[in-house]
Amino acid sequence: MANPLPKEYYQQLEEIQAADFVMYELILYLDTHPHDPQALVQYKQFAQYSKQLKQAFEAQFGPLQQNSPNTSTAEWTWSTSPWPWQV
Amino acid sequence: MSSQPQSFSSLKSYVPRHGPFDPCPPIGCKYYSTPPNLYVGFQPPGLPQFSPREALKKGTLWKVFYDYYDNPYRKGGRSRG
Repeated sequence: MANPLPKEYYQQLEEIQAADFVMYELILYLDTHPHDPQALVQYKQFAQYSKQLKQAFEAQFGPLQQNSPNTSTAEWTWSTSPWPWQV
Repeated sequence: MSSQPQSFSSLKSYVPRHGPFDPCPPIGCKYYSTPPNLYVGFQPPGLPQFSPREALKKGTLWKVFYDYYDNPYRKGGRSRG
């Protein structure tokens, strides 16, 4: 591969995946338990945490999604950075 | 890996009857899994949870729903073609 990705790329990505997984599990749980205060607090926590992780990741490694809100770099890097399946 | 000693297994099996005039060979033992969510019903709030990383690996956030699957047919069971 052109330039092997740094180790923390994968660490941060796994951390984002774990935070997102918990968030989506809680979303599904809250769909059927809208009045559960504890789950709501936990969901807000993880949604915030996931947002922070993504912002940090995207500032360092480029956009995670095509329409990621914080495009830090000047030029369009979505089509140049390694594609998700090439990671 | 489960906290309380599982007296029952989530893997159940049955043997379909093989009639005397059945042209095909007997199927033998067939397995089916009964995951924990069948027994829980409406999920109560405040169940114990895994840590985020572990939840990602295990596929569920709540410990009670974790259901490990290994192929009973491969482990010595009669492997259907």
